[in-house]
Amino acid sequence: MKADYLIIGNSAAGLSAAESIRLLDSHGSILVLTEENFKNYSKPLITYYLAGKVNLDQMYYRSPAFYAQKNIMLCTDTCIVGMNTEKKEVISAQGRKFSYNKLLIASGGIPVLPPIPVSGGGLLKDEMKKIEGIYTLTTLEDARRLKKYIEKNHIRKAVVLGAGLIGLKAAEACLELGLTIHLIELSDRILAATFDHKASKIMEARIEQKQGRIYTSNTIKQIKASQGTVEKLILADGKQIDTNLLIAAVGVRPHTAFIDAGTIETERGIIVDKHMQTTAEHVYAAGDVASSTDILKKRAENIAIWPLAVMQGRVAGMNMAGKRQEYGGGFFMNAVEIMGIPSISMGLSGPQESKDAEVLTQEDGSSSIYRKVVIEKNRIVGLIMLGHIERAGIYAGLIKNRIDIGNIKENIIREDFGLIQLPADYKKHLVVGEGIEV
Amino acid sequence: MKKIYIKEEYCIGCRLCEIYCQVKHSKSKKIIKAFKTELDMVPMVTVEEIGHHSFAVQCRHCPDAPCVDACISGAMSKNEKSGVVTCDDQKCVGCWSCIMVCPYGVIKRKLGEKKIASKCDLCQDELEPVCVKNCPNEALVLAEEEEKDES
Ligand SMILES: Cc1cc2nc3c(=O)[nH]c(=O)nc-3n(C[C@H](O)[C@H](O)[C@H](O)COP(=O)(O)OP(=O)(O)OC[C@H]3O[C@@H](n4cnc5c(N)ncnc54)[C@H](O)[C@@H]3O)c2cc1C
Repeated sequence: MKADYLIIGNSAAGLSAAESIRLLDSHGSILVLTEENFKNYSKPLITYYLAGKVNLDQMYYRSPAFYAQKNIMLCTDTCIVGMNTEKKEVISAQGRKFSYNKLLIASGGIPVLPPIPVSGGGLLKDEMKKIEGIYTLTTLEDARRLKKYIEKNHIRKAVVLGAGLIGLKAAEACLELGLTIHLIELSDRILAATFDHKASKIMEARIEQKQGRIYTSNTIKQIKASQGTVEKLILADGKQIDTNLLIAAVGVRPHTAFIDAGTIETERGIIVDKHMQTTAEHVYAAGDVASSTDILKKRAENIAIWPLAVMQGRVAGMNMAGKRQEYGGGFFMNAVEIMGIPSISMGLSGPQESKDAEVLTQEDGSSSIYRKVVIEKNRIVGLIMLGHIERAGIYAGLIKNRIDIGNIKENIIREDFGLIQLPADYKKHLVVGEGIEV
Repeated sequence: MKKIYIKEEYCIGCRLCEIYCQVKHSKSKKIIKAFKTELDMVPMVTVEEIGHHSFAVQCRHCPDAPCVDACISGAMSKNEKSGVVTCDDQKCVGCWSCIMVCPYGVIKRKLGEKKIASKCDLCQDELEPVCVKNCPNEALVLAEEEEKDES
């Protein structure tokens, strides 16, 4: 099969690219490939599905009619296993060949599995398929299988390895299904990559309040199974946990197994230029699989978040369709409400904070309200907001546009901080600038 | 194409825009009920004020709307024809990604039975958004795009 535009990946980056290509080129053939067997769905909603808050029909990110409306072809159940940039083609596990004029790799991430030995055999990654009760949670199929397993076997307890954002969302979903939760984390606190100590403490207290158990500075040394089902976990410190369910959520890494490593270079993901083009001609990459400019770290970085996947996909699509467009770079940000505590963190806050950064905080000891702004050379570089998250985007705008906030520092952490306190020029740009279309 | 412009020099901070917005988007459409019983309601236009300086700001319905990019559920969308950005209450899961990226800070949390994002929908069923219509001072103005260039 041949397409003008071939896209590997049917999610945030891939679909955003397909949409932007179609806006610029109404005739060129667009073919989207996915190894999964769903038309499309929103990956971040899989834990909501697990918890029963969202049903399958609500999982669609773009409606099933989207493909026909935009004249986009879709091949599901098509796992790409190899490619040849010289012949301009990719090949699927079934041996089907797809050739292209322009190719976008938007294959996202795959879960990392730590090398934990499993009783009676090899390591976790090899044994996982043979033993029941061990799951990763990064696809809708994972969530469906896990949900069935919990229901069918009346599972009452879940152990989650890895207390990052996905781990916590998984734990919350299990809690909502009435399971007790146990979180095991290698670091000395939960959410260590995105929160600071104070914010982690607030979340830990909330989890404990819900009878959740947290084991920090710890990991699983051995997994014991019996009769084909996981039964017991032995932790690094010798503690043992009896369980029939283990969810491994230690992280994801760029899904690059099938790429032509001779021509497509990688470093923390597929390296792309400002136009989202890889080191191979006519081949672009976007989303969780790509390594692109981090405007705060000032280097190429794999920032695996939804908003950037969409943005990068759009830029890649435009360039593929012949419109030169530059990607301005991005920075980490995440919003999530876990166990009733809304939170937003972005940029270099917490562990990434530099020693000579200026830190402004505001907290309300009695509740879970906490706010922190990290400033370097009069520019905001990081933010954490817990409990009260209103207007967080104003800070994101200040970070993105590198606005000098030297003169308004005393207002920055105020609860009523808003546009009115912004530096005059920037405020003018926001308030009296562009009108809104009606 | 008509747009809403903010004239901060005319705003006296009376907050009538907030009140009309809240009533308009309430279930009852009655002012007392809207304010005293529909407690999850929030106005979708916000008056900011320091001393005698004030202005009202609502969603700018941006061309490349960051809230649409950031929305993990597909709830936030920009109408291809009208350009209006709206949030589908059914699809919204209350993750607050839109709040995280809106540089104007004009998306709010509606904390009812289901927690969802709440934002200006430009009163599409009215001839004119109620905040504009009821501003006593023309501090919010609906105008053709060209007029702005002249001023
Ligand atoms: C549980 C969970 C919760 C999350 N919550 C949030 C959140 O709240 N906010 C946020 O910003 N981010 C969140 N993320 C991250 C977010 O989902 C990703 O950043 C986003 O999905 C990246 O989009 P993508 O298009 O790059 O890749 P993906 O969404 O990973 O999609 C990859 C696509 O490529 C296809 N594919 C991969 N390999 C092949 C192959 N070899 N052949 C054919 N097709 C292939 C897949 O089938 C899929 O269609 C979450 C992730 C998870 C797992």
